[in-house]
Amino acid sequence: MNAATMLAQLLAYGPALAALVAAALLLSVDRRGHGLLYALAPIVVLLPLAAISTGRLPFGHAGAALVVALVVAILARDRDELLQNECALKLLWVMGVSLALSWAGADLLVLVTGTPRVLEQWGVLGLGIDAPYLWSVALPLSMLTGLVMLGGAPFHFWLADVLQGARPWAAPLAVVALQTTGAAWIGARMEGVEMLPTANAISIGLLGVCAGIAWLAGAATLLVQRRPERRVGTLVSLQGGLALGMLLAGRRAADPTWFTAWTAHQVLAVTGASVLARFLPVSGGTARPGGALFRRHPAAGLAGWLATASLAGVPGTPGAWLWMRVARALATTGHLGLLLALGLAWLAAFAAVMRQARDAIGVPDPTPPPTRVVPWTARAALWIPALALIALIVSGASKR
Amino acid sequence: MLRRLLQGFDARRQGATLTVLGLASLAARGLVFSALGLELLALAFWCWARAADDAVEQVRRWSWLRRPAQALWFAAGVHAIAASVPAWPGFAHMGAAALLPRLEAGGVVWAGLELLAALPLSRPYSDVSGPLLVMRPWLPTLLPAAGFAVLWRNADAWVPVPEIRRIAEALLLLTAVLSALRAFGRRQWIASLRWLTITDSALGALLVASAAVRPQVSLLLWLGACGGRAFMLAGELRGATSRRGTTLPRMWRAASWVGSAALSWPLLIRVGFGPGGGAHAVRFFLTAVPVTLTAWIAVRRIVKAPERRQMMRRDAAVTLSHFSALLTLVLGPLALLLGWWLGFEASWPGSVISLLPSALGGGAAFALPKRKRAAKHVVQPTAGAAIASESAPRPRDPLPRGFGALARGLARGTFRNVTALERWIVDALGRLATSVISPLRDLHTGDAQEYLLFLVGLSVLALVLPFLR
Repeated sequence: MNAATMLAQLLAYGPALAALVAAALLLSVDRRGHGLLYALAPIVVLLPLAAISTGRLPFGHAGAALVVALVVAILARDRDELLQNECALKLLWVMGVSLALSWAGADLLVLVTGTPRVLEQWGVLGLGIDAPYLWSVALPLSMLTGLVMLGGAPFHFWLADVLQGARPWAAPLAVVALQTTGAAWIGARMEGVEMLPTANAISIGLLGVCAGIAWLAGAATLLVQRRPERRVGTLVSLQGGLALGMLLAGRRAADPTWFTAWTAHQVLAVTGASVLARFLPVSGGTARPGGALFRRHPAAGLAGWLATASLAGVPGTPGAWLWMRVARALATTGHLGLLLALGLAWLAAFAAVMRQARDAIGVPDPTPPPTRVVPWTARAALWIPALALIALIVSGASKR
Repeated sequence: MLRRLLQGFDARRQGATLTVLGLASLAARGLVFSALGLELLALAFWCWARAADDAVEQVRRWSWLRRPAQALWFAAGVHAIAASVPAWPGFAHMGAAALLPRLEAGGVVWAGLELLAALPLSRPYSDVSGPLLVMRPWLPTLLPAAGFAVLWRNADAWVPVPEIRRIAEALLLLTAVLSALRAFGRRQWIASLRWLTITDSALGALLVASAAVRPQVSLLLWLGACGGRAFMLAGELRGATSRRGTTLPRMWRAASWVGSAALSWPLLIRVGFGPGGGAHAVRFFLTAVPVTLTAWIAVRRIVKAPERRQMMRRDAAVTLSHFSALLTLVLGPLALLLGWWLGFEASWPGSVISLLPSALGGGAAFALPKRKRAAKHVVQPTAGAAIASESAPRPRDPLPRGFGALARGLARGTFRNVTALERWIVDALGRLATSVISPLRDLHTGDAQEYLLFLVGLSVLALVLPFLR
């Protein structure tokens, strides 16, 4: 392995590393009463979550369950954290049910075809030996856990709950690990599905309905959502919709690097946006003085806003490239209804992020700014993903 | 040093810098630059608004300015996608190849029309002042200018799309009529001027849509009409400098009249006598209404400013106001000459008939004598002069007493009723949307009941599954 390959590997894992460092910084400030080693102990669980967030690990049935178990374990670890525990319970219930249904669907397919290999299953089903009723129900069921993990509406509630309820060091990595697993799950289930046109039509139909609902319901939710953490959750659910859209259209038109870029961007943007959301005021109907972060440390606030803007696909950010690629793929494959839904979602996300920035800066307050500074570790956790995103912008611009 | 520099860069300077950058960006070619320009303009208004004394009200009042920017970003995004969609010969009317140009045109037209007060969402913005204290009454004139710039600069995106162009033309025509009525109905000259800039910009945008003249000609014609009003409005903020003395009001009267007439002339020729169907007379009449009213207001309302000073300040014989009036006066005819040079032609009866609305409006305003109104702050004349003026015979007024007030009231009432109806429709649609979305909000409170949504999702999926087979 030469130096260039090593550097490329490092860059590929860079975003997850940046998110892990940000999580460690937040962890140190969150548990500063404890000794350093004890305070940073949860890193042991965050590390595999960060590795999963790179999207480079192979997943089987057990892999998805392992990710859910890791996330639930890290959320439920601290028994004094009531909100985190509630999130862990909810996740266990939602993910447990969806995993059970998906396993049932996958096992039904194995039963019908007699082989656990997905690529072979399409060939066997194509022979037409079995009645299509059973496998045509089993196929969408087997994809269900991927849809739930990606968090597109109507399964978007768990994202907002985790981003609001879990501690800031745990939430982003947990969310991105689950979403990456969801995308990988669906990708694995759809491997080679083009070989069987009926199955292809079923999977495309299901993904199309789910992506459309994810974008439309997400856009409508953004219009009425007032809590910044939950707003970030909805933005992340729109990103889940993007992954669905690319899975739907991508097999014919997409750039294979899209998913690598999506996971890298997701881990950075969710980290920055979720940290920033903790410092933002709840949106009201009228303009009010800005939050403490923007009054005391406006540059750090803007750094955090860059991550949120990238989630929403604000032009010029790396996120905009992801939105644009999906839109292009949908346009070239003729999914015009979905393209319109995507356009509406993008408009709603863009408007919500701009409104959030104005709310955060607010109107001038005649009183002096707060004397207590925001801890440098929290500000560094805002800067790290922002700098990594800027690096992505620069590298993207240089490639063009 | 840096801190001092930053402190000196207050909201006023921030807004001014952003406005200059925004206008420069609007002038550049490309939808992305136009969108960036509008975004910067919206940001400038927000900077001024948040620093105002009544910041809460000002921020709320000008928050709609992000909508046009957003629409233009949407159009820019669609444009970027459209480039990658293959348009097979013979299939350009189907699928993405047909949809994307319409979406792009829709975004551009939405942005331009909303800034031109042509959409019911923010139509009455010219009735209120801008957010920056030192130039509050002038600032709203930036917006119709930006709207015209968007529609003019991106004409390639929307004029060739017939459905969108027709909708835009209808809305622009309605706006021209309503804004002219509003300008006529308002007593304050400053408010009337603001509404006249909207009328001129709407007529200018109609000229762009009609493609009667080359783009550079339509820009010059619009500059001649709207630029003059913007300058007069600026003059009003500096002690009505454009109405001081005896020469300047006459010059501005002539310049405004000529500017309006030059802008409307090619448009009326195209509307009334251009190629097309038989609805020309109605459209010609509808276009002639704002043209006539604008000409009337331009000639009738520009009056010599009452002198409140005992001691006159010494001014240069030729001021910037003189120069601007002269420029406005010649710009329109020069643009028409350029248009003729570049191929614009008019039929013989059509060219004369198309001049009639502005000639009638301006001529009537010029010919009909004015009723003297008692000025409050005019320097009192001597007793002898007062007796002489009372005993002098008054010119015969051909209009019945109270006719002017009645006409203004009618114009005000028409504007108010139309905008109230529009507002009612928009509010009804908003209430409908809220009632549809509210269950979603109830289910998204973060409580355990949200998990009901999960079950709903699963149930819907179970129902959908058989249909997918």
